[in-house]
Amino acid sequence: MGIACVAFIGPQNNPMYLRSIDPASDDLYMKLHYVIHCALDAVEEKVLLKRGPGDSQDAYLGLLYPTEDYKVYGYLTNTHVKVLLLLDDEGAVKDEAVMRVFRRLHGLYVDTASNPFHKFGLPLSSPRFDAAVDGVVSIYRGAGASQGGFMT
Amino acid sequence: MAGIPPAPSPGVVAKKPARRCAEVCLELLCAESVRLFHAKQSGPAAAAALEAVGYRVGQQLAERYTRDKPRLGDTLEIIKFVCKDFWQALFKKQVDNLKTNHRGVYVLQDNGFRWLQRLSPPAPGSDPGREEAARQLALSYLHLPCGIVRGALCHLGVICTVEADPKQMPSCTFTIRIMA
Repeated sequence: MGIACVAFIGPQNNPMYLRSIDPASDDLYMKLHYVIHCALDAVEEKVLLKRGPGDSQDAYLGLLYPTEDYKVYGYLTNTHVKVLLLLDDEGAVKDEAVMRVFRRLHGLYVDTASNPFHKFGLPLSSPRFDAAVDGVVSIYRGAGASQGGFMT
Repeated sequence: MAGIPPAPSPGVVAKKPARRCAEVCLELLCAESVRLFHAKQSGPAAAAALEAVGYRVGQQLAERYTRDKPRLGDTLEIIKFVCKDFWQALFKKQVDNLKTNHRGVYVLQDNGFRWLQRLSPPAPGSDPGREEAARQLALSYLHLPCGIVRGALCHLGVICTVEADPKQMPSCTFTIRIMA
């Protein structure tokens, strides 16, 4: 087990990308949408709470909140793009490993946004991006969850 | 690199060695784009088109250059990022002077703006008409960098307008006005 869902949310909280890693029914997709939507409030809360005078903040927000089935992790880029991960791990989750997944996903997003045909604010619909996300997820499943991560 | 699994899945592309390109190519591209846009459209239309091109490039560059930075907090931090890291990456130097009136106007002064260094300044003491013509010419080359700076700032969450003023080439000031 490991990553159940990957989501990219734009600056105006517009969904740009939401993907269930295992094939999902429509009902499950609705549920994922719902969980992600709730997580956006948690992101805002984290950002407000962390604001202190003069402290630099990391893009990685950590565990946002646990639900019955998932743990929701968040990451906020400088350009206000939120990356959310739904993990269905039973046991402990290593922050290090999750952070590496986020770093890679962020890198992928930057590469995709650099494509001259990419339009900011529109959903990401690139087969290459899909494949790359799959790659990151499968590495986390293979090595990250059990041994504590892969190198970036 | 020991931790990378032996057989990467097909989706993960192996890192290519960094490719390089002569700087003169960029200079020629910038100069030619200005010429091309002014040949196709006239006056304000060409300026707006160049600004739009720059805006888009600025968005993408901001996305890339902030990738490994900690989160930028307020407006001043974002402006400082643009003056230091962004300027360094784009124009090979940092902004020489940053002034602000603390009411949403920031003035960035660059004493040797890279993209103006190929323009020959008018001879000192030449008549005002020539100087004004040279200024207008330099302005037409500044729409693109203005757009880039505005694109980067807007993408980082600072909605603003950017104006450039070439006083004595190649020094140049950029005035950033934040929209309330």
